[in-house]
Amino acid sequence: MAGFVLRRLGTMAITMFAVSVLVFLLLEISPGSVATKVLGPYSTDEQRTLWLEAHGYFQPLWVRYGDWLWNFVNGDFGESVRFKVPVSEILWPRLANTAILGLVTFAVMIPVSLVLGVVAGMREGSRLDRAISVTSIVTTSVPEFASAVFLSAVFVFWLDWLPGTSGMAEGFSFRELILPVLVLVIYDMGYVARMTRASMADVMTTPYIRTAILKGLPYGRVIVRHALRNALIAPFTVIMLQINWLLSGVIVVEFFFAYKGFGALLLEASLNQDIFVIEACAMVAVFVAVATQTIADVGYAFLDPKIRFG
Amino acid sequence: MARERPRPVHPYVPELEEQLRTGVVDRRGFLRTVTLLGMSAAAAFAAAARITGEALVPKAHAQAAKKGGNLRISMRVQEMTDPATFDWTEKSNVARQMVEYLFVTGPDNITRPHLCWRWSASDDLRTWTLGLRRGVRWSNGDEFNADDVVYNFTRWLDPRTGSSNQGLFASMVTATDTGKRTRDGTPILSKSMTAGAVEKIDAYTVRLHLNRPELAIPENLYNYPTAIVHRRFEDDGGDLARNPVGTGPFLLKGFAVGEKAVLARRKDYWGDEAHLDSITYIDHGDEAATGLAALASGQVDLVHETAVGQIDVVEAIPHARLYEAVTAQTGVARMQVDKKPFDDVRVRTAVRLCQDHQRLLDLAHRGRGTPAQDHHVAPVHPEYAPMPSPKQDYARARHLLAQAGHAQGLDLSIDCRKDPPWELAVAQAMTEMCKPAGIRLRINVMPNAQYQDIWNKTVFGFTAWTHRPLGVMVLNLAYRSGVPWNETHYSNPEFDRLLDSASGMLDVNERRATMAKLQKILQDDAVIAQPLWRSVFAAGHRKVQGYTLHPTIYHQLNAVWIA
Repeated sequence: MAGFVLRRLGTMAITMFAVSVLVFLLLEISPGSVATKVLGPYSTDEQRTLWLEAHGYFQPLWVRYGDWLWNFVNGDFGESVRFKVPVSEILWPRLANTAILGLVTFAVMIPVSLVLGVVAGMREGSRLDRAISVTSIVTTSVPEFASAVFLSAVFVFWLDWLPGTSGMAEGFSFRELILPVLVLVIYDMGYVARMTRASMADVMTTPYIRTAILKGLPYGRVIVRHALRNALIAPFTVIMLQINWLLSGVIVVEFFFAYKGFGALLLEASLNQDIFVIEACAMVAVFVAVATQTIADVGYAFLDPKIRFG
Repeated sequence: MARERPRPVHPYVPELEEQLRTGVVDRRGFLRTVTLLGMSAAAAFAAAARITGEALVPKAHAQAAKKGGNLRISMRVQEMTDPATFDWTEKSNVARQMVEYLFVTGPDNITRPHLCWRWSASDDLRTWTLGLRRGVRWSNGDEFNADDVVYNFTRWLDPRTGSSNQGLFASMVTATDTGKRTRDGTPILSKSMTAGAVEKIDAYTVRLHLNRPELAIPENLYNYPTAIVHRRFEDDGGDLARNPVGTGPFLLKGFAVGEKAVLARRKDYWGDEAHLDSITYIDHGDEAATGLAALASGQVDLVHETAVGQIDVVEAIPHARLYEAVTAQTGVARMQVDKKPFDDVRVRTAVRLCQDHQRLLDLAHRGRGTPAQDHHVAPVHPEYAPMPSPKQDYARARHLLAQAGHAQGLDLSIDCRKDPPWELAVAQAMTEMCKPAGIRLRINVMPNAQYQDIWNKTVFGFTAWTHRPLGVMVLNLAYRSGVPWNETHYSNPEFDRLLDSASGMLDVNERRATMAKLQKILQDDAVIAQPLWRSVFAAGHRKVQGYTLHPTIYHQLNAVWIA
């Protein structure tokens, strides 16, 4: 087991290293354009040269990369061009905001989608199964920007029940979280429910479940004690991957509702070519992607005895 | 030394009074010019009332203003390090509540004194004497005086500052040869303030000495990068957000780029105290619908700007009110005249001839505005010279293209911002209109921030220009040879000469004659294809009182209160 985990961690480190080289090359290969971004279009050539010299841009590329990586590992991500403060001052609060949004979304989405999936999978082909399956497909196929507009039209403009933006300008508010969470839950719930349903339906057709039912065990006990444990292995991986999806998938929702999270930060940094923020966001996103993948792999191997740690 | 006092009445004022009496100028034109010439606003209104018999004071408001409350405004909160280099109105709107201007142009397009309480111009309009208001204190306790004004002018006109004010006050700038040359042998000139252009007469009087006559000094001094900062601005860090020292009615209490700015009423403000306790600017990002959603659900009281396509949404919100201002705001499909294929005037003219201006206005801006005429002087400008509207002429466009060696047609690409949507709609309509002449126009849509980076570099782009109260102001900023915002690289000595002349003409009718020539030159040289002049809109809650939408969407909030 320890060897397996170590190998996965090694793969994770190599992936991160490869991405860091790519990110650095893509954004910093041309020092002149970095200086223009940082100092603005009205800066003079002389100012740019001074800035480049002061920040070591005349050194060889590999030295610059080494310095950049060292600073990065030590938490120094540079200064944001747009915000005029160190990137870490913005990045961590924004990540925390997205974590709050993600946690609330998961807290609602996971129980609802698991229950729906299990209920649908218990009796494959039943009227309830078909109703849940069709609803899941419909909600998952509506993109977030469409459901955001629709829900906003109904709950903000028509019924006037909910706040239209979620910027938390007057402090944290659960009411402002409702619409973004609703949009994310509606989109993601159907997917997880469908995966759970498929897994549950598979388990329900296995001989040991049939045997348990034929033995005369109460149906509820068969489901809870025998079926669920095996049926939830596949959804576990899917749910882990949703963390990764959330980090980038929230861009649309955060932008639409002006929620000050990581997704909106990444989008605005890209639009404003705020390169040090883009670099930090890209590295964080990659870290979350490979970390969740690693946790999913390790967890899957742990939950499913059929997988050998070889 | 005896202190010089500005002369109270300019010799031209009696003639203007006569012109108002005989109907040669209207009331607004009269007020604009006499206040520009140093008559106080009160005296100007009184003189107009005496001549026309109209009421001196507008009808009293039905309700008395109520003190208190927090006004929440949905607007981008951008960095605001240095007012001299502001390039977005939004930056100036937060700063405007803290730092002030020497003059203020109201929503009625009339310029009035502010930090400068009276002024006079010499008869030749080359010497302007500014008498500064006494008793104005900076928020750090220092007294505002002539040193502040001299410091700001010196900073604006220093090429190292990189301020667009250098183009605005071109009459105070001298170009010197650096001895260096560009690759094609053109001498590289360094532009800096003419020696002695700003003179401190005494602690409260400053005199400007111009290289040539200039009419719009007061109006220029309310252009958004001309906010007056403290005389130790750079010594104290050169960052208004970190060291918010100002003379204005509000103090900065909180500032986070991309999130919000909080301002609180200043107790020791020199002028009339504002009604509001505080103002909160809330950043809702670039998504246009978000501000209206915030207004609909009562999260904000005012939305900075509303796109023409959202008027229906505003009208559907029961508690919302739509504000509209007729403006000289526009967008120009501008061509760099020194780059291929636009270095050939026949190509530029062909592009211009493809436009049907009225149809572009109808398609892109729901007909709300006025068709433009490709010379960047608006009908709302006092010196606008009426001209026949340009006609779409495909036969001539094809002929010119063939002469220029493009008989088989021409492929062009125009850079255009994604927002506001009307700009893209114009570009799309122009694409269709260009087809019959054989011009295959491709649109390169880019995010706003990226366009901001290349707006003055791209060979062919669609650039939005804000409202300015006088026609000569925008021509000085955008089409004079070599000024920083000359995005077309247009350079025409005859045009510059006439512009010098127009910028120094007091008489609106006389200036109009010169403007007719300038407008014609710009049209003939086909530097821009300009589809329309647009109205601008904003939305607010009905409980917001006393707010008037300024044509440039400058937030003047001293008289605003919440019912």
